[in-house]
Amino acid sequence: MFPQLPTGALSQFPLRKRRLARTVLNTTADGRTIKLPDIAAQTTEWQLQYAGLSDAEVATLAGFFAGMEGSLNGFTFLDPNGNLLAWSDDPSQVEWQKAPFLTLTGGGADPAGGTCAWHIVNSGAGGQSLSQTLNAPAVYIYCLSAFARAAQPTEMTLLLGSFRATCMLGTDWNRFMIAGTGDAEAASVSFGIELPAGAAIDLYGPQAEPQASPSAYKTSTTGGIYENAHFREDAFTYTSTGVNRNSTTVNIQYANHL
Amino acid sequence: MATFPKLKTHAVAQYPASRALRYQNQTVRFLDGTGQRYRDASGPLHRWVIRLSELDEGELAEMEGFFLSNEGQFGSFVFVDPWDGASYPNCSLGSDELDLTAVEEMQGQTSLTVVENRT
Repeated sequence: MFPQLPTGALSQFPLRKRRLARTVLNTTADGRTIKLPDIAAQTTEWQLQYAGLSDAEVATLAGFFAGMEGSLNGFTFLDPNGNLLAWSDDPSQVEWQKAPFLTLTGGGADPAGGTCAWHIVNSGAGGQSLSQTLNAPAVYIYCLSAFARAAQPTEMTLLLGSFRATCMLGTDWNRFMIAGTGDAEAASVSFGIELPAGAAIDLYGPQAEPQASPSAYKTSTTGGIYENAHFREDAFTYTSTGVNRNSTTVNIQYANHL
Repeated sequence: MATFPKLKTHAVAQYPASRALRYQNQTVRFLDGTGQRYRDASGPLHRWVIRLSELDEGELAEMEGFFLSNEGQFGSFVFVDPWDGASYPNCSLGSDELDLTAVEEMQGQTSLTVVENRT
């Protein structure tokens, strides 16, 4: 897996991302077009520009690059600017594991002025959870955040691996977060919420990120985990700009068909 | 039918924005130097270049999601011309490539070209 910096960040600013699609295009004599999408040819590229890295940090990056033998071997890469959760605006999708006594109703007013909030009711006699399990490196530092409110004071527990954070919801929208790592021995990490018996809340914008603090909410459908990403180049170059200060640029590529 | 996304300010475009109009005409030249021109298409097609900066992460992600849902230039959508409010029901993205740059926090940049399709 691609190494996180000791701060828990995967990258620094500026971060550049390129999405490439392929469309087979047939233009007729009258100017109309017939199009065919080539989904397998879609690629995503990231350019990570690092500055001010310590000798240890740049050695970690160089060691990882050597371990991958440049562009030869694939690794799991987490989009540094993405929401790792899939279907963040639609917990009725199969990616979400919903406990049996939870009832979800979509289309509620959300704090961003839209209608993407979900009303969630636990009609069971015990705690019920709504979560996603991601095939992400367990040793990373993650942050889970979500906006929530409730008509009556209610508890909600954020779940991140084995970490739990209990929040008290009020009638106004508030963003709650938890940061931590997954279980060191696990091959996946779970993110979710848990509601006590009888609780009813409004939930909006669940977001998991590979960093210690949340960024602005990003709607996602596919999630941000890219298994079998590769370095684009076979060379790793870094520049020492001072004592214990180094800079480098890394290009990473993910192709749908690989 | 999908619609081109708006920013949180409800604006579609920022300055500088470009708008182009393109006709498709043919010219036949004769030996005596004269020529005859004719229309080779039913009307003009429009093209807009939407350059966006100072986007927050959510707006940048929405543009990326729109590109993905359209599969590049494959999909079509409704585009409302920010100059005059006219609605163009059959438009596509002009490229299979999208560049997204996060310069700083809340400082995202991208650029999309919208082209009107012949119907």
